[in-house]
Amino acid sequence: MANPYETLGVAKGASQKEIQTAYRKLAKKLHPDLNPGDAASEEKFKAASAAYAILGDEDKRAKFDRGEIDETGAGQQQRSYYRDYAADQASGARYHNAGGFADFGDRDDIFSSFFSGARSRGNASYQGGDLQYRLEVSLREAANGGKRTVSLPEGGTLELKIPAGVRDGQILRLRGKGAPGHNDGPAGDALIEIHVLPDRQFSLEGDDVRTEVPISIREAVLGAKVEVPTLSGAVFLSVPPNSSTGKTLRLKGKGFPNKHGGHGDQYVVLKIVLQGTPDAELNEFMTNWEAGKSHDPRRT
Amino acid sequence: MDELEYCRTLRIETSTLQMWVEERWIIPVGSPDAFSYEDADVARGRLILDLIGSMGVNDAGIDVVIDLVDQLHSLRERMRLLMDAIATQDIAVQNALGRALNRG
Repeated sequence: MANPYETLGVAKGASQKEIQTAYRKLAKKLHPDLNPGDAASEEKFKAASAAYAILGDEDKRAKFDRGEIDETGAGQQQRSYYRDYAADQASGARYHNAGGFADFGDRDDIFSSFFSGARSRGNASYQGGDLQYRLEVSLREAANGGKRTVSLPEGGTLELKIPAGVRDGQILRLRGKGAPGHNDGPAGDALIEIHVLPDRQFSLEGDDVRTEVPISIREAVLGAKVEVPTLSGAVFLSVPPNSSTGKTLRLKGKGFPNKHGGHGDQYVVLKIVLQGTPDAELNEFMTNWEAGKSHDPRRT
Repeated sequence: MDELEYCRTLRIETSTLQMWVEERWIIPVGSPDAFSYEDADVARGRLILDLIGSMGVNDAGIDVVIDLVDQLHSLRERMRLLMDAIATQDIAVQNALGRALNRG
């Protein structure tokens, strides 16, 4: 073996940093996996690595300089490189990447299928790719779950079970519903990204939902039992007497399904709504209502 | 070999291997709950360690290198098939091809 200083192409007095730089440069040039067709690169890389094993280590370098060890001082283990396996059908197929020549397959000649990979690698089998879809669901559907039959852009349909409590952006994985495998390999998966559409009635805040419920002035003053929509159907809710617009009532457990198997709450915000047409009797009452004349809600 | 044995062979942490798998630098065989690794994956792992250690390449660089190495091997495979196919042709065809390529 040659003198390690010569192998790395550095002077005897080179600094450790210079030795490292020289070795890195050689490694990048000579690494067998970066030169898969060059049989000689392995020997050269080995020699550079052996030289660096001595000179890269200050102790060993000092011993070498004092003549205590020779250039074979650092034994090199026998190793194999990825290039030795890349041509292997099974492992090669896993790492197959047609990026370098896929465009050759567009040529309208007898070689097109050869380059597009249609005439695929021997009889190696490998898994089909995952296919990605996007599905829009209503907030109620997301809360309650359900079944949907989805038509695929490339034809065919997909039976999809939407789990109750699915969230916006969540991805459902259907095993084996993606692209078919090659040569009896398993099919890929279908990945469905859920997009929960905003709802006119309900707004979602974490696990809780908020709804605005209109009430009449009579219901506001005297109190009433009113019908309120929830994600799981309508319920009756008591509006206490003397309720103002903005008063918020809580329906426990009527919100969105949470992670712990329960539900958030629903907040019902009351809103007093007058009749569309003015009422003479109400006008007369208000005109003569003494206490109403002095009450100023902006000044309490 | 399983995940543990792979990590022991290359002397890397499990989290490192998981990162490699996530980046698809290493594509194990089998399902996620029982991944297995082959000699080719070990050799690939050594290449990654060489890139990081001996060549000072960072993660982004490894991504590029691994991708190009895979493209290169796939190309070599196509080229090999092409050469094999040419070798089975009539000698006159081979000569004609040789002349055409030398002109190019």
